[in-house]
Amino acid sequence: MRRRQSGHAMIELAVCAAVMVSCLAGTFQFGYTFYIYNQLVTAVGNGGRYAAMRTYRGASDVDLEKGRAAIRNMVVYGDARPTDLAPVVANLRPDQVDVEWVKDKTGAPTAVHVAIRNYPVNAVFKTVSLEGRPGVEFPFVGRYAPGEREP
Amino acid sequence: MTGNRRGFVLIAMSVTMLLLLAVMGLAFDVGRIYIARNEAQVFTDAAAMAAAQKLDGTKAGLDRAKDAVAHIPMRWNLGTQEFRGVIVEFSADGSKWETEPSNAGSVTMARVTAPDNSVEITFLRAVGGPNNFVVPAQAAAMANPVRLTE
Repeated sequence: MRRRQSGHAMIELAVCAAVMVSCLAGTFQFGYTFYIYNQLVTAVGNGGRYAAMRTYRGASDVDLEKGRAAIRNMVVYGDARPTDLAPVVANLRPDQVDVEWVKDKTGAPTAVHVAIRNYPVNAVFKTVSLEGRPGVEFPFVGRYAPGEREP
Repeated sequence: MTGNRRGFVLIAMSVTMLLLLAVMGLAFDVGRIYIARNEAQVFTDAAAMAAAQKLDGTKAGLDRAKDAVAHIPMRWNLGTQEFRGVIVEFSADGSKWETEPSNAGSVTMARVTAPDNSVEITFLRAVGGPNNFVVPAQAAAMANPVRLTE
């Protein structure tokens, strides 16, 4: 009789444990993914604000790329010219930040689009890849200097 | 005795599931609320700057400001939903805000409010939480030069 009770308890424990471990794993997965996503929203928001207000220098393609690199650095490191290369979001790299200028007919920038691309959120049980999200678009309100070079 | 034990397992399981729902709610629902709040704040920042940029002291400038806000391609709720009910207000000095100011020539600031971002609660409502949680956001910017002020 006691052995049968012990067997029931084992089965109950197994069923309950399976349900609870699944729930806890799912909770961790969603919680961690949302935590990282929230950090990314803050990061691209900071990058977008910085890009909107910085001087647009377009003397050459090299200068344009330097400008984009500064914006990517602002997103990834929280600093356009970082001295400490510690990303604000775990494992985020500058090449995972998309920076695109929206231009008018004359080629002058009117807005800047900053988004995350191909960033995997590794939540242990499942990896979620973020492609184009989160993304922001800020109006360009900085100085337009097409003939100037980046320092 | 056996009956008592069976009852105990049921009660223990119910209490544990309630606690688990609360934990899931904290991770899932509160996580989404924080993201929505952040997304709404970034949107209002961009919208206030876009509106302030269009201010030129004319009535047409005010209309262009509202139009610029309406055309910002940003979304909330993990980037899936459009912002609705967005309010654009204008002010001369930041103390009195109007949606249709009578003297467009004195307007130097724009303020954007996204009031209707209602996050649907999934798990916390099972343990007594609300069905929805509204996360409003607001930002103001001045013109010449365009800068965020709030």
